[in-house]
Amino acid sequence: MTRRRRPPGPVAWESRLLGLVTVGLVVFGVAAVYSSSSIQAVEQGLPGAWFALRQLQGAIVGLFLLLVAIRVDYQVWKAFAWPAVAIAFFALLIPLLPFTHDIAPVTNGARRWIDIGVGRIQPSEGAKFALIAWTAMLAAKKGAQVREFKLGVVPFMVIILPACLMIAIEPDLSTALLTMLVCMIVLFSAGAKIGHFMVLGVLALPLVWGQIAALQFRVNRMVAFLSPGEDPLSLSWQINQSIVGVGSGGVFGVGFGEGMQKLGYLPYAYSDFIFSTIGEEWGFVGVTVILVLYAGYLSLGMRIARRAGDVFGTLLTVGLTSLVGVTAILHMSVTLALVPTTGLPLPFISFGRSNLVIALFATGVIMNIGNQVGTGKRR
Amino acid sequence: MVEKTQVRISAVHVALGLGFLLVWGRSAQLQVVRGDKYTESARAQRTERIELPASRGGIYDRNGVPLALTEENFHLGIAPNEISDTSNGRSQADIDEDIRRLAENLGLELAGLRSRLALPQYAYFHGPFKTIQVQPIREIPGVHPEGELSRFYPDPDLARVLLGRSPFGGNPASGVERMLDSILTGVPGSAVVLRDQRGRRFQSPGRLDAFPSPGMDVFLTIDAELQEIVEAALVEAVAEYEAIGGDVVVMNPHTGEILALASTDSAGTPGLTALTHPYEPGSTAKLFAAAALLEHGLVSLTDSVWGEEGTYEFGGRTVSDVHEVEWATLADVIENSSNIGIIKFTRKLEANQQYQMLRNFGFGTPTGLEFPSESRGILRLPREWSGFSSASIAMGYEFSATPLQIASAYSAIANDGLLLRPTLIKTIRTAGGEVTWTHAPEPVRQAVSSETAEILRQMLRGVVYRGSPAALASYEVAGKTGTTRRVGEDGSYVTGAYNASFASLFPADDPQIVMVVKMTDPTGTYGGQTAAPVTRSVLERVLAAQTSTLDRTSLSRNGDTVRPRGLLESGQPPDVVNLPLIAVETEKVMRVIPDLVGQSMREAAAHLHGMGFAVRLEGWGLVVFTVPAVGDSLMQGESVVLHAETGE
Repeated sequence: MTRRRRPPGPVAWESRLLGLVTVGLVVFGVAAVYSSSSIQAVEQGLPGAWFALRQLQGAIVGLFLLLVAIRVDYQVWKAFAWPAVAIAFFALLIPLLPFTHDIAPVTNGARRWIDIGVGRIQPSEGAKFALIAWTAMLAAKKGAQVREFKLGVVPFMVIILPACLMIAIEPDLSTALLTMLVCMIVLFSAGAKIGHFMVLGVLALPLVWGQIAALQFRVNRMVAFLSPGEDPLSLSWQINQSIVGVGSGGVFGVGFGEGMQKLGYLPYAYSDFIFSTIGEEWGFVGVTVILVLYAGYLSLGMRIARRAGDVFGTLLTVGLTSLVGVTAILHMSVTLALVPTTGLPLPFISFGRSNLVIALFATGVIMNIGNQVGTGKRR
Repeated sequence: MVEKTQVRISAVHVALGLGFLLVWGRSAQLQVVRGDKYTESARAQRTERIELPASRGGIYDRNGVPLALTEENFHLGIAPNEISDTSNGRSQADIDEDIRRLAENLGLELAGLRSRLALPQYAYFHGPFKTIQVQPIREIPGVHPEGELSRFYPDPDLARVLLGRSPFGGNPASGVERMLDSILTGVPGSAVVLRDQRGRRFQSPGRLDAFPSPGMDVFLTIDAELQEIVEAALVEAVAEYEAIGGDVVVMNPHTGEILALASTDSAGTPGLTALTHPYEPGSTAKLFAAAALLEHGLVSLTDSVWGEEGTYEFGGRTVSDVHEVEWATLADVIENSSNIGIIKFTRKLEANQQYQMLRNFGFGTPTGLEFPSESRGILRLPREWSGFSSASIAMGYEFSATPLQIASAYSAIANDGLLLRPTLIKTIRTAGGEVTWTHAPEPVRQAVSSETAEILRQMLRGVVYRGSPAALASYEVAGKTGTTRRVGEDGSYVTGAYNASFASLFPADDPQIVMVVKMTDPTGTYGGQTAAPVTRSVLERVLAAQTSTLDRTSLSRNGDTVRPRGLLESGQPPDVVNLPLIAVETEKVMRVIPDLVGQSMREAAAHLHGMGFAVRLEGWGLVVFTVPAVGDSLMQGESVVLHAETGE
């Protein structure tokens, strides 16, 4: 495997555009977080812009990392893949241990965060990047071998499955499945046989099934605990409120900040259901703009992937781009009641600093790959 | 491999692209196609129709004196973080000044308020505070007044039971407030306000759907001044005669309007006993037997019966007269209240005729006064009568009536025989002042012919002008006393207990008011001893006060024909007891205004009335000063203004 390194030089137009799209999404996101969270913030006795300012912090840190990632040759991540996975495993393990409640307390019935003093981080966000980079690295290394089952696909599962299982029992089943899905996309792009995925899918079903049942139990219990009365946190109620919000936006929306569903009707209006708020306030026009931005991100990412200097670059770009695309589609589908409710953020937009920082960092990595298009020898 | 990767990347690209397309299509469906429907359902769930309370109408006396009003009171919430917020350019001195103003206006202790506002929690002061307290501090940041309508009685004791209590605050309503609730209540308005999922309301944006339409104002037939006089006289009399209680009903006989209605009961019986507690009327009912005899032409004015020297065996019972009469005409019988005489006359009367006459005067049925509770009294059908019933009923026993029924029946006599439905409501006006209803006399029936009524009035005049404690110096009172043994709780007569009553027409020759006074178990046995002086004391004060109740033009016209007060003669009626009369000055003299400061308005007014002054009241509560001042001299009949602590 030969490669040529190019020092950070003129940025390719794809990367430039990708950066613009990303900044557009982030700016839109901070505004949407402000609009959808201020009332809840004030209710909790916080300043109205509390969530928005925190999101802005995340954006600044993330943009800094993005700028760093643009300048760091993505080959570093190939070398760093194994340690990254090791760190991810360690980080994922912390919230699962019984004696770590001090730094990983139960929040909303799950232990997904680790308190690192200056703030909380969500290990699963970093794990997603680490697993995708690792999968891309291994797939690029195995080359045509990924078409085999025993030596090709199974070794990936040895790492991916336990990692996703750990995420799942936080519990964060949707992130676990999402990570699994994106890793599969990377493998699929690398050329793995479709039949193998079917086998894996069938094998995984009992595992996942048990988790779904356990999760459902937890959710029901939590719902019953939090709202003994009319049950406004029930999933069908949330979904209904989400659709009412999006639908009432109409073509042009009710206007920025004018949305009413966030007045306690729509839970997590600033995170898991932020797309509903956007649909309500910006209408079909705003939704179209957001979709164009995501579609642009997807197309630019896939274009960079196709033209990347090496297979690792290709697969890493496919993985990171798919991560953004799949997450966005699932989030939006949830808010539009196309798929059952899961708690996935809208990349770059939903409140959540870990997610935003990783997404921006990943974008920086893609941009770095984009900048090296045509500089490497195709394999 | 590379080609394969390219194809697969394209597949992923297309798949995700389709995913976005699906999302876009779904958004179009929800927002463009079904947008209106969702807009509607969103609005429906986040808005709430709230009721805006309507102000309850006021209750006024016939002259517009307020008896019950609705006022807005305030509870106050103070947000410490808002009041002590210096980011809006206010200095600490401004804040201190604001807190000082709060304490001053709300009557709170400054130090306490200051330390309370040092706490972070929202401070709530229930108050209730008046508009005048809240208005100056409204604009202070963080001050959030919450309005609440409440009922206010300027003079809480005046006509208390009659007015009753409004249903404000969830209490059961009573009295006029209850009877006229639907008229007083008004129509609440409504507004659509925004609310969040937890049901909390946001002040704006809100939309007013309908203004609340305030309830109607009711002007009672009651004359507040007369009512006050009556209540004071009644309380005094009950105390003086050590009675259990008493009732006074004052009516305008030509309209049926109740001018004053008071009951007092030391036993604490709730309600207006004048309406709810029937009693055997005794001699006051002899007039109705006479009415039947005259109406049916059974007795001529010259017919007379033998008085049996005071003792008469009839129906196996011995009837006696307190004062013997010899040969007595019907007029003599009424005037002397002869039991023997009325029994002998009544023998000419068929039971049915006697019964029908009492029915004609409204006995045995409720009068229909606008009050939640009223007794119909007891009047049995003739077929239930025993052999002695006719005689008993003629003497005012074996049937019972409320003081209101007696007043109503006497009013018919004063009103040329036409019985009117008594009423408490004079006019009803909208909050804007438009009169929507005015009372017009409501004839019930012609109880007796106007000729008979005239004869009956003449008979009544004989009673008082022959001299009785009810007689007044200037004007003639016509009336009849009644004394009966009192029936106790168990339905049997209480030994040594009596009801004393006096039903009177004033002035006698052209009655403007009919007054019934009933004393329950006074220590003086005979009605004339107790009930009649109350009547006189009320009338004296009414004449002294500048009330519009009496038509003075008509009174002064009658003044020319004033009859001399009858002297007490040996033929004094047995139930008219001679009390030393207070010399009533016919000449107006200068009198010195006594020191009334600190007394209640009522006591002070009664005192001044008694001295022959007219009284005007300003405010309520205790007297603070008078105009003219204490110690000044004033001609009787002139007005003294009493100023109380709570002025307007």
